[in-house]
Amino acid sequence: MTRYFRLIRIFTGATISAQLEYRANFLGAVLASLGEVGVALLGIAVLFGQPGTVSVGGYSFHQALLVVGFFMLTEGFISVFVQPNMSKIAEAVRTGSMDFTLLKPIDAQFNVSTRNLNVLRLTDILIGLGLIVYAASFLTVTPGGVVAAAVMYLSALVIVYCIWLALSTTAFWFVKTQNMSELFSGVFGAGRFPVTAFPVPVRAFLTFVVPIAFITTVPAQALTGGLSPLLALASPLVAAVLFVGSRLFWKKAVGSYTSASS
Amino acid sequence: MISPPPDVAVQVRDLRKSYTVHEKDPGLMGSVRSFFNRRSHEVEAVKGVSFDLAPGEVVGFLGPNGAGKTTTLKMLSGLLHPTGGTARVAGFEPRKRETPFLKQITLVMGQKQQLIWDLPALDSFLVNQAIYEIPEAQYQATMREFTEVLGLEGILKKQVRKLSLGERMKCELAAALLHRPRVLFLDEPTIGLDVNMQESVRAFVRDYNQRFEATVILTSHYMADVTALARRILVIDAGQLVFDGDLASLAEQSSGGKRVRLQLRQPISLADLSRYGNDARIDGLSAELSVPRSEVSARAARLLADLDVADLTVEDPPIEAVMAELFGAGREKAAESVTGSVAASVA
Repeated sequence: MTRYFRLIRIFTGATISAQLEYRANFLGAVLASLGEVGVALLGIAVLFGQPGTVSVGGYSFHQALLVVGFFMLTEGFISVFVQPNMSKIAEAVRTGSMDFTLLKPIDAQFNVSTRNLNVLRLTDILIGLGLIVYAASFLTVTPGGVVAAAVMYLSALVIVYCIWLALSTTAFWFVKTQNMSELFSGVFGAGRFPVTAFPVPVRAFLTFVVPIAFITTVPAQALTGGLSPLLALASPLVAAVLFVGSRLFWKKAVGSYTSASS
Repeated sequence: MISPPPDVAVQVRDLRKSYTVHEKDPGLMGSVRSFFNRRSHEVEAVKGVSFDLAPGEVVGFLGPNGAGKTTTLKMLSGLLHPTGGTARVAGFEPRKRETPFLKQITLVMGQKQQLIWDLPALDSFLVNQAIYEIPEAQYQATMREFTEVLGLEGILKKQVRKLSLGERMKCELAAALLHRPRVLFLDEPTIGLDVNMQESVRAFVRDYNQRFEATVILTSHYMADVTALARRILVIDAGQLVFDGDLASLAEQSSGGKRVRLQLRQPISLADLSRYGNDARIDGLSAELSVPRSEVSARAARLLADLDVADLTVEDPPIEAVMAELFGAGREKAAESVTGSVAASVA
């Protein structure tokens, strides 16, 4: 275990050093973060900007802002930790550098999931945290709510990682899979609104088919104490099932790896 | 299965691999048809290969493109699962990719790279040190040796993207051997390098082999790599092992015999020269021809007596010529004649 922490430290050092090579990229990343939060805020501004609107789908303005906060935080988590690694899986399969990864005496899934970080997008995470704290200051939040939200959100991060991993793993068969992650981003965009703002069929789809509801709405509900016990139990369970499932899928993909010829 | 005795580093028995490949007609319509309706068929890349390697042995693995060399190396390193037969490397079954196995082998591919592109090679080395759990003292000692033998001084702190191909290949080798593997799979390690760089890569592999008694399987398009490093040659063609023996006996497989080179004082016609041997060639006052092994001295004496010769040398045919013959027109016959010797050396 300590070995894997040590490896994460070394991988992180290397990936940050690599990004410091390109300074101009930093400005672009900051602008991208600001654009992202701008679009999310614009969304709820349009909803709540209508005269007489005080709640959408049972959410007050600050509760909805809380959802936007979790959305930005998750967006940041994906940009910093998930996407930089997962996008390289398809590339590694196509160029054959996956050969080296599979021949290293460490877990290959760990290796492909931790090698890269996009530190430039850490601003997304800071903006997300800022929004959550700001919105929460207008709402009643109990210490129990904070703990529940933390557990729900940790489950959410596991869910996000597993979906990305499963989508990226298809590269072992299909080689070019950029559109898979586009698919995720497209559906995930719905997460910037409280799931209850959608009609019931869409809500069901976003909860049971693609578990977007667990990623932003459920942690927000947990923080303000409005979470049903059923969803509170479901979230870690979904995370655990997805984790095991995506790991099995990964193992299967690696087993059928054919390796690009030299 | 029974594990091989400790004096066998690599044991391969009837190893097989077949792939499913998709085929597509040329042109856009072909692509569209293939997108909706994939036609596929089985290709047998490796059709039952068997051999043993002793620890410390260096073998050259030769064969035309697509013969199954790389597929075999990938099965031996554990990347591909064989569809039949068995392989044992350093006492392990490669396809299980167990940690103790992976720490004892390495795969170097001249056309693929593992170094981090945007960072100096030294950073990639540190990553590998952590991955392979190389103790600091051993890491330092290995780095000192490699720096000296490969001449890495001054290139270790440059970003990999700024290195020349040769410099990068040296760093790739160092990264791949940092954990001091006992079995090396080198797939075209000198491809695209200039002659000097090829030579220093060879010197490094030779040095490593001697220092650590490592077993080395080497594929290369450059015969010089093979003749410089390997005493034993495995020739694979169309997925089958067609020759297993030393370099000299591979040369004897060639029916062309020895090559006689002449420096003449007076020009001679090709027809006249052809009376003394086969495959004669003339370039101004330089000429060459092949003569049967058994008649080398008699023919040389006749040439010296009949012609105005300034200089005469007799050589073994270049290994390229032998390979061209093995895989060229005389392929059927050659393959037939060598399978006999393969059977003998396996039994």
